[in-house]
Amino acid sequence: MTVQPVRSTGRVSAAPLDHIGIGIRVVSYVILIAGAFFMLLPFIWMASTACKPDAELAISPIRFFPENPSCLEVAGRLYEQSPNFNRYLLNSFLVTAARTIGQLITCSLAAYGFARYKFPGRSLLFALSLGLLIVPFQAILIPEFILIKGLGLRNTFGALIIPGVFSAFALFLLRQAFMQIPIDLEEAAEIDGANPLQILWRITIPLSIPAIAAFAVITIQAAWNDFLFPLVVANTTDTRVVTIGIALLQGQRDTPYNLIMMGSLIATLPMLALFVMLQRYFIEGVAQSGLRR
Amino acid sequence: MRTRWLVLALVFALMLGTVGVSLAQDAAPAITPVACDEPGELTMWVWDENWATIIGEAINEWTTDYCPGATVDLQVQPWANYWDLLRTNVAGGDMPDVFNMSQTNVGFYQENEALLDLQPYLDAAGIDTSVWGSGMIDPYRSGPDGDLYALPVNWDTIAVYYNKDLFDAAGLDYPTADWTWDDFAADAEALTDAAAGVYGAAAYSEYQAGWTNWVAATGVEPVIASDHTTCTLQDAGSIEGLTFLKGLLDAGYMPTISDLGGSSADDSFNAWLAGRVAMVTGGSWKLPAALESADFNWDVVQLPRNPETGRSRSIVHSVGYVGAASTDTPDLAANLIIFLGSDAGQRYFAEAGGVAPAAPSQQQTWIDAFGTDDVNIQTFVDALQDSQGVTVFDEVWNIGNTELPVNIFDLGMSVEEATALGCEAVDAAVAGM
Amino acid sequence: MSAILNIFGRTPLARRKAFWGLALIAPNTIGLFIFFGIPVLVAFGLSFFEWNGIKPPEFAGLDNFGRILRDPLFGRALANTLKLALIVIPLNMGLALGAAVLLNQRLRFRNVFRTIYFLPVVTSTVAASVVWTWVFQPGLGLIGIVPGLGSMQWLTRPELVLIPIAAVTVWQRIGFDMILFLAGLQNVPRVLHEAAVIDGANGRQRFFHVTLPMLSPITFLVLTLNFISVFQIFDQVFIMTQRTTPGGVSGSATTLTYLLYQTGFVRSEFGYASAIALALFIIVLFITVVQLRLQRRWVFYESEAG
Repeated sequence: MTVQPVRSTGRVSAAPLDHIGIGIRVVSYVILIAGAFFMLLPFIWMASTACKPDAELAISPIRFFPENPSCLEVAGRLYEQSPNFNRYLLNSFLVTAARTIGQLITCSLAAYGFARYKFPGRSLLFALSLGLLIVPFQAILIPEFILIKGLGLRNTFGALIIPGVFSAFALFLLRQAFMQIPIDLEEAAEIDGANPLQILWRITIPLSIPAIAAFAVITIQAAWNDFLFPLVVANTTDTRVVTIGIALLQGQRDTPYNLIMMGSLIATLPMLALFVMLQRYFIEGVAQSGLRR
Repeated sequence: MRTRWLVLALVFALMLGTVGVSLAQDAAPAITPVACDEPGELTMWVWDENWATIIGEAINEWTTDYCPGATVDLQVQPWANYWDLLRTNVAGGDMPDVFNMSQTNVGFYQENEALLDLQPYLDAAGIDTSVWGSGMIDPYRSGPDGDLYALPVNWDTIAVYYNKDLFDAAGLDYPTADWTWDDFAADAEALTDAAAGVYGAAAYSEYQAGWTNWVAATGVEPVIASDHTTCTLQDAGSIEGLTFLKGLLDAGYMPTISDLGGSSADDSFNAWLAGRVAMVTGGSWKLPAALESADFNWDVVQLPRNPETGRSRSIVHSVGYVGAASTDTPDLAANLIIFLGSDAGQRYFAEAGGVAPAAPSQQQTWIDAFGTDDVNIQTFVDALQDSQGVTVFDEVWNIGNTELPVNIFDLGMSVEEATALGCEAVDAAVAGM
Repeated sequence: MSAILNIFGRTPLARRKAFWGLALIAPNTIGLFIFFGIPVLVAFGLSFFEWNGIKPPEFAGLDNFGRILRDPLFGRALANTLKLALIVIPLNMGLALGAAVLLNQRLRFRNVFRTIYFLPVVTSTVAASVVWTWVFQPGLGLIGIVPGLGSMQWLTRPELVLIPIAAVTVWQRIGFDMILFLAGLQNVPRVLHEAAVIDGANGRQRFFHVTLPMLSPITFLVLTLNFISVFQIFDQVFIMTQRTTPGGVSGSATTLTYLLYQTGFVRSEFGYASAIALALFIIVLFITVVQLRLQRRWVFYESEAG
């Protein structure tokens, strides 16, 4: 048995596996295109509304493309009404980055511990962690607010970041991924004298790149779109995140859909770019993990 | 003319012992702010970014001229989450010193003694609270002596927005303030053009801008009486108003909620803006949107009169400023609130020309701020004279705002059945409180 | 002393491993306890009190739980939630797995499709709300392309409203679960497929005998998360019913989490809201424990089989 991962299967030798018949190909495309249509609708709506002048907002039946596209004018008005919008974007960026990196560290350690080590209370602690996922956030909003206030974190970046570096969801996801990996490699490394942190860093994580990419996409997306929690603990001009900035565009009587959609579009584009960047790891991981056992 | 109205209004107020009469019009009495005793720091919440700008300017005047050395931390909260956020902060023991309040939400805070009683401060400042119409402030009164707990900031009333071009095309005269329900129905019929997809009217959507105004015209307090316990949905006046509207719907002169794409007053108003509806009941808050977006000739006219009572009645709602009972600096909080509600503080609202200022002396400034002679904006001020204050509150809000209209104007339920169902829900909500 | 140590393992090696395990899980576990565990315990404690958020809480014993059993709205919300689970979970998992399998093939524009399928996860809920309301709008909506469906009052009829809500839920969730399935598919060691090809297995046999068993840990994860998320459906109800009747006519679209929110933040009955949260917790915990028991029969862990 060899220890290191071997690139046993290059793309050429993989031909029998990767060959897709023309029939399957056609059916796949038909299904995918039909699905894509529904997936795209609201996004097109968001983009087209973001470019509509006020006069075109109230038109019924729904009009998917503006007659007089005025994207720049709407964007200009957005920044006029919300001059600090870029600051909110920056805040969201900082909070998201800190939370994701923090979660990657705490949760990959914990997931590895739960996946590979036996210790008293392991099942119970894991079940309790998962149990936290079951409680709707609305139920703990007030105790959470009191706790953050009591810790002196209210209206600070600490409030936005620190609770967010711990996650039961990421723990569950990474543990499942780690358990999917053959244990032989880790055992071999252990015999060679590597400590658990080295094994995690050099073997387990590299073999779980697709899962880590999924973790990153989901965690970043959740942190970026988080609304209720930041609203309750840190809604000041200095610490405001972009989701709150967008919500503030709506007044009691006045719903400027074009401004709201422009704000949403600006806030969504970084997420899309990130997804396009990260999603290649869903394929490339595979060539790395072709293992010989 | 005005005097006659005043007398009429007074008579009704006495007869019915009801809310909703404005005494404010003729005198336009002054509301004068006073200087504070001792400056300090205040936290203030508002729910609208546009207001924050206006209020910020007003506060500048206060900290310069009336309370030098005071500072106000003005925080904007998103409207959609304002009430959840307020309840979270209250429960967490962290209320803002001064904040915006609505008539539908004030009851809960009043009953739990969470609000600062402003009456002693108003008395000390020599402010006569009758300058505001009773519909505007009665929901903010509490206690045996009717102490005032909120100062009104702004108000809105309802009128009929109509598309002049469609009236011209149908060869109809424009409506006048003395028109009746029968005139409204006849116009709606004549304006309906099924082939072109144009409806004559949309007049039921939502609590404030919709069906409740028709019920109020019969003299009944819509949904629930001001005692906050008695359901009025099955009163003869409620049935009459709803039956009239359902008749228009059944005859095909009004769209259903599904036709409109939603039960909100915005959906009705957008259909009007798009030329799909000739007449719509809309709030004064819609003036800026209509001036900006309507690409046809239009005007507003007071709601038509009920044939029997002869009354045209609008729901009136005012937003208020309140102080927290728990504030460390009640004197300062009250002083700021009084300034913001005074002529000096209200001037900033009036000049901004959005929502109408509550101080009577500022209403002409507000009308002028729109800078148009084509639209009779005075209509909304006139609508204050015989208006109906808000009696509903959180727990029963959805029943009148959406459930009842959806049952009647979308699902085809009979008025009798829908109102019986509505009263069941109101009674359950009242019992559960 | 050694007796205490013994609970960590009988041999020095086992003990060392136990300490490592505890050290690895400590940061996340302690953080979760402080920032989520304590608030959850407080919330559950509140369920034994009556509290409106302003006046001091009053001890109410089991009153709130008795009320749950009598409250017709709770029964309706539970029934609505279970119905949604029955529609949403199979549909969603099937479609997400299907999308992942299709998009795991070497197809042209694969990356474009993956991005599009992920879009609903990041699109603004306001945009989603407007578009989905229109899709189901009688007479004008896109649903009209299916004969007979165009004239139904999807969003206001109590017996229909759960269908659009289920549709939005699936629509929002597919991209999320697709990513998890994709990651799982990528983790299936290629050698297993190659071995199966050598053994003469065709594509379908490989899918059922190699891919699905190897995917079972992720399938288990997705299934568990789906149950948890269905019981927390809130945004979808908000999205689909805010333009007609919030929570549906006569509560026909009210889910457990929506009821919890209404009870707490609209009616200011925080004690009762906490009791609803605790009831919801117990129901989902029961389902999860059953799943954990059943998983031994169908979930295949590579590391345990090795």
